[in-house]
Amino acid sequence: MNKVNFSLLEKQLKEKYETRNDPWGFSPEKAITDLKLLYPLYRYYFNVKLHGVENFDHSKNYMVISNHTGQIPIDALLICTAFFLELNPPIVLRPLVERFLSGLPFLGKWSSEGGAVLGDRQNCLNLLKREESLLVFPEGVRGIAKSSKNHYELQPFTKGFIRMALQTKTPILPIAVIGAEEFYPFVFHSKKLANFLRVPAIPLSLNLLPLPSPVDIYIGSPYQLPLELSPDSPDEEIEKHILNISDEVNSMIEQGLKNKRSFLKRN
Amino acid sequence: MKSEFKNILIIGIQGALSKITAELLLKKYPKINIYGVDSRSVSDIIPRDNYIVTKIKYNRTNFEKIFRENHFDIVFHLGRLGHASRNQDLNKRIDVNLIGTNAILELCQKFQTKKVIILSTHHVYGAISDNSMFLPEDSPLRASFKFPELRDVVEMDQMCTNWMWKHQESIETVVLRPANIIGPQINNSITQYLKTPLAPMPMDFNPMFQFVHEFDMAQILVRSIEELPTGIYNVANDEVISLHDAVKTVNIKKIQMPIIALEQIAKIISPLWKFPRYLIDYIKFSTTLDNTFLKKHLGEDAFRFKAKEALELLKLN
Repeated sequence: MNKVNFSLLEKQLKEKYETRNDPWGFSPEKAITDLKLLYPLYRYYFNVKLHGVENFDHSKNYMVISNHTGQIPIDALLICTAFFLELNPPIVLRPLVERFLSGLPFLGKWSSEGGAVLGDRQNCLNLLKREESLLVFPEGVRGIAKSSKNHYELQPFTKGFIRMALQTKTPILPIAVIGAEEFYPFVFHSKKLANFLRVPAIPLSLNLLPLPSPVDIYIGSPYQLPLELSPDSPDEEIEKHILNISDEVNSMIEQGLKNKRSFLKRN
Repeated sequence: MKSEFKNILIIGIQGALSKITAELLLKKYPKINIYGVDSRSVSDIIPRDNYIVTKIKYNRTNFEKIFRENHFDIVFHLGRLGHASRNQDLNKRIDVNLIGTNAILELCQKFQTKKVIILSTHHVYGAISDNSMFLPEDSPLRASFKFPELRDVVEMDQMCTNWMWKHQESIETVVLRPANIIGPQINNSITQYLKTPLAPMPMDFNPMFQFVHEFDMAQILVRSIEELPTGIYNVANDEVISLHDAVKTVNIKKIQMPIIALEQIAKIISPLWKFPRYLIDYIKFSTTLDNTFLKKHLGEDAFRFKAKEALELLKLN
């Protein structure tokens, strides 16, 4: 396994971002510092593997669409780290995050310095216009907050992302994450309790910290939306493409589950 | 504005921005007459035949007198009172900002002013955790949701914009909502904050800021006479910089603490630290502006100073 050259990565990041000043607060220096801390977890604890790198065309920026799993958004962290470390040149994926995160002390600051952006329409369009690649979880909180019996069940996708991709003519890159649901194998969600506490979800799990489940990330073929399709097309015309993308992610999940690594057989 | 103009009224002439604007106006249009008024004592202005300044109490009678005696073609309303630290000052501020502005707008219509240029602020949008980056002009004005102290700022802006659309056939009106104006002469809350050593700074938040140098702002005010048609315009530089980077650029030491401690300390040291408590959210969450509409009319070269350059100049001062 190659040793990661963090100095080179930092240099590459600074070349891209110090000349164009990121308005969302991404800080190359702080991102690399965080990456150094995260790296042992990424490489040895979760043993992440990225498959299908040949599907990523470096001449384009993408809207990366993923299934959302694992109860807490570690999957986003692992996907972004994988795209940064395993692709050459490194790709900074900008994950779109829930509104409540930006209001939290330290966490909001830390996430934006690492590249995360509040997930609203205006930010999304501005990022795509600046040719950034985005990481979107169209299942939203419903995807991540699933009880054990519903693990790997893809929730219905929202429609907003596809209209923004159409508006900016950005290709969609479906990916699937396998292994993150096993971070918390025995989990139950009480919607009533979450509503009472006014939080998006409360996972009740037997383990507090995520278990060291090996993670595989599969990059699918880019999905090109028809050029003649307008961002203001009626829902019926949009929905068939959402279903196609969702089916693509689902088939990658099914395939990935067949090849899933276990806790013991990690390589 | 296509027609000719001769007499200009500047309300709030004692402010640094007004003084710079007046000098730039006289340089660009040497034949105009400027009449400057302020409720504060007016100082540091060299009197000239075509540049008269007066201290007046802001009320309808006084304004009506000067409108009647001078036929103003253009009115610059730069006299919005800034942030108050005491309740008494707050009441005065609301009185001037709302009742005063209403009277001025009525008089503009009555005495057939050709163009009114009003300086509002980016504070009207509110510093809210879920603000998008680059708020366009039609974003909701949410400043007073949390702090009622900001209600006059929002209401004044809304009063002016409502009036603007209502009277657009007879008077050209421009409402400018600038980002943080900074410079060696200006003395607003953010300039004071940046220049105050050991002022508290949040360690758990790092909002993004846009800075407009005072000279650029004055230039835009001057250019708005001929180049900006009726409308609302965000005035902000392209460059966005985080609060922590801005403080680092100015190179003045701050005391970093969690925002929860900062809010409590601000209450205790409020007599010494002039930064208003209700503006703390603006050093916690970003309020950045989309400048597309302004640049459409003024071009890409509307700003001479980048944010970092404006901050460097502040440091030299």
